Amino acid sequence: MSMEASELQDLSDDADYAASQQQGSASMMRCDSSKRSSPSEHEDAELIYLKDNVAIHPTQFASERISGRLKLTKQDSILFLSWIPYKGQSSNAKLSEKDRSLYTITAVPFTEVRSIKRHTPAFGWQYVIVVQSSGLAHPPLYFYNGGVREFLAIVKQHVFLARSAEDASVFLVNDFQSPLQRTLSSLELPSSLPVASGQSTYPSDGGSLNENQGRTSSDVGNRVSSLSQYGLRKHKSHDPTRDLSIHLLEKFSLVTKFARETTTQLFSENNGFGSADRRWNNQPVHSYSDKLSNIAEEKHHEISHSYSENDLLKDEDISNDIDVPADPLEFNKLSLVWGKPRQPQMGSKEFTAFLDSEGRVVESKALRERVFYGGIEHQLRREVWPFLLGYYAYDLTYAEREYLRSVKRMEYATLKQQWQSISPEQAKRFTKYRERKGLIDKDVVRTDRAFEYYEGDDNLNVNSMRDILLTYSFYNFDLGYCQGMSDYLSPILFVMGDESESFWCFVALMERLGPNFNRDQNGMHTQLFALSKLVELLDSPLHNYFKQNDCLNYFFCFRWILIQFKREFEYEKTMQLWEVLWTHYLSEHLHLYVCVAILKRFRSKIIGEQMDFDTLLKFINELSGHIDLDSTIRDAEALCICAGENGAASIPPGTPPSLPLDEGILYPQEDDVL
Amino acid sequence: MASAGNKSINAKLVLLGDVGAGKSSLVLRFVKDQFVEFQESTIGAAFFSQTLAVNDATVKFEIWDTAGQERYHSLAPMYYRGAAAAIIVFDITNQVSFERAKKWVQELQAQGNPNMVMALAGNKADLLDARKVTPEEAEIYAQENSLFFMETSAKTATNVKDIFYEIAKRLPRVQPAENPTGVVLPNGPGATAVSSSCCA
Repeated sequence: MSMEASELQDLSDDADYAASQQQGSASMMRCDSSKRSSPSEHEDAELIYLKDNVAIHPTQFASERISGRLKLTKQDSILFLSWIPYKGQSSNAKLSEKDRSLYTITAVPFTEVRSIKRHTPAFGWQYVIVVQSSGLAHPPLYFYNGGVREFLAIVKQHVFLARSAEDASVFLVNDFQSPLQRTLSSLELPSSLPVASGQSTYPSDGGSLNENQGRTSSDVGNRVSSLSQYGLRKHKSHDPTRDLSIHLLEKFSLVTKFARETTTQLFSENNGFGSADRRWNNQPVHSYSDKLSNIAEEKHHEISHSYSENDLLKDEDISNDIDVPADPLEFNKLSLVWGKPRQPQMGSKEFTAFLDSEGRVVESKALRERVFYGGIEHQLRREVWPFLLGYYAYDLTYAEREYLRSVKRMEYATLKQQWQSISPEQAKRFTKYRERKGLIDKDVVRTDRAFEYYEGDDNLNVNSMRDILLTYSFYNFDLGYCQGMSDYLSPILFVMGDESESFWCFVALMERLGPNFNRDQNGMHTQLFALSKLVELLDSPLHNYFKQNDCLNYFFCFRWILIQFKREFEYEKTMQLWEVLWTHYLSEHLHLYVCVAILKRFRSKIIGEQMDFDTLLKFINELSGHIDLDSTIRDAEALCICAGENGAASIPPGTPPSLPLDEGILYPQEDDVL
Repeated sequence: MASAGNKSINAKLVLLGDVGAGKSSLVLRFVKDQFVEFQESTIGAAFFSQTLAVNDATVKFEIWDTAGQERYHSLAPMYYRGAAAAIIVFDITNQVSFERAKKWVQELQAQGNPNMVMALAGNKADLLDARKVTPEEAEIYAQENSLFFMETSAKTATNVKDIFYEIAKRLPRVQPAENPTGVVLPNGPGATAVSSSCCA
């Protein structure tokens, strides 16, 4: 996936319109040069345009997509559109050949196309939705390499496109074969009337109000009501931005009366889109409304910003001081592409199926995928976590693991002996040891003491935690003990039970996350930097907000990253999140996408309330206990896939929890430090 | 001051001190009047606000509670920069924490806002049996360094509100009233002392 930055920067789409008015534009020439006949076409079909890497998402899950080739051909002066999926290429094995043929678009004549909706967000994921005259909406065609504008410009050279008065991102296709349309469109009169203001106010509970708007065509009314019943339309209260957008339309568009009337049939992209979803997605409608209400719960504020208004403003590149800039990805998130729903936790039986007869994990990736999408039943965690953490290699047999455990148990006892053998007399002369022990003693008694496993006086598990941390500070004397480590150890000890096993799991975890605790804070700075890059990529308005408010150091996310959300979720949820993060299934840095997901979820609040750094830190800290884990993971997954290579490129090599690049001195020392 | 009761002051206050001295517990007592026996360690920093009425003004404290471990020392300037006040906390049952408090005082004297109001809190005053630092010792140190000293107990609430109240009384009263949100002010000598400023 790549972005065509120059194109994306051009938010004024007047160029599109201009392109349709001018002959011999650059895109026209490009198009001409690519003219050639394809043997698979009709003999006299002329290839007008060809675009590779145009994909659809057969489900709303970002991870499932079918890539193919989009073509425009012309035969007998009629323009045809086709999209043919590539053979045997799909992001996901589960997508069958049947799926692929199901979504194939074979030569749809533009005489049967009613409209093309265009979505060109500032970041990636441009797409178009082609709606046929019959009302059939094809699934969104994603231009993974960009180029939606060029595509439309080329279409405009062959058919008449008029900007919808209702939604500037919808282009109505007018067939020049129709004399009426030709006449009307040739008038090219500026729209003299504002679009009926009645349409700018929709009831907050959706439904059938549109029928009451005195539409003359019963056909239109029927369609509208049948579409709107899916309740997908976001709530549109009367919003000044809408009036503004209508004003802009008057200014910029040459919309004929006919076109405007046609537009009313499609006035809501959400309506049309909803029906399309329903038709091709095979998903029960309630899953969408569930999703909407789910989102509404936490971001009702955002939902009041109708997509189309925001999109209009953005597209026209009108600076506005009204309020929160639109989330460039919000539309996708609401209605199309999501992370997969969480599956049930993996149980024992299922785990055993991943093992061969001697106990080796045959396909570690499949196991990690399974854990990524559903987590692990608690009783099974002690068997699987050591694999995820890297303590057990996946190719060890039952016997080899047993042997490893016994060897490691002895090694742990030896390490533990090192500090246990320090006599009081020696301790008097061993300041570093005393300080470390004091620090650990202070922290273990206040780590998760409300949690049953650690509660009560003289709790043996608290003692185990102290012993493990003290032993670790000898095993890794350079890194020592640092606040936050006990947060990591607590769930590990709770899951593993056994002290030696817990120790080695903790060691494996610290191999990756130890740099979080470096004295120079380098590990944290790298991650915070990567986070800022990801937000810039995935939500540039939010990034700009942070920039303007001197929040780009992202220190308000410090706790999230240092201990991977341990303080943000309840105990069980933390374990669920960690095992997902530890799979490194989509990315080693999913935790950073989790940060982005949470920030995006509250972006309207953050920007709307004009939070400064102090307020933001307070707000973020107080989010603890109020973040829904499952939807956050799903958002993070979708964001990670959405960001793709650009996301990966935003994260510097060696950023924890990637293994350190330089295997030399792991933990640089300074003088006079604990 | 003349205009009694209607002066509103925003004051950024930072808590510094050794691990486990009771910084978070003092804030929790002051802000929410709560006490937790096993208050978890502070990761990064926490931010609270609490308003206190003194004779002639209403002081809104914007309180930064920091992590105590030396390892996180490098983050501290971010939080004490621009602070109008600081409470340096030590644990009266822990001599090391008192030594650490002295280091914080030195650092603030060298790096902090010159008009900063500094308070030294000898916390855990309820644990008299385990006392290692005498009030005399701390008082002398405080006088030598122009701080004011109080023994506090977040657990019993002894002197907690009082120490914030004392700070509020000592804050300069020059902040213009038309700055209720605490945005950065021009660098007037008095103004910076009481306005919160951006810490980025």
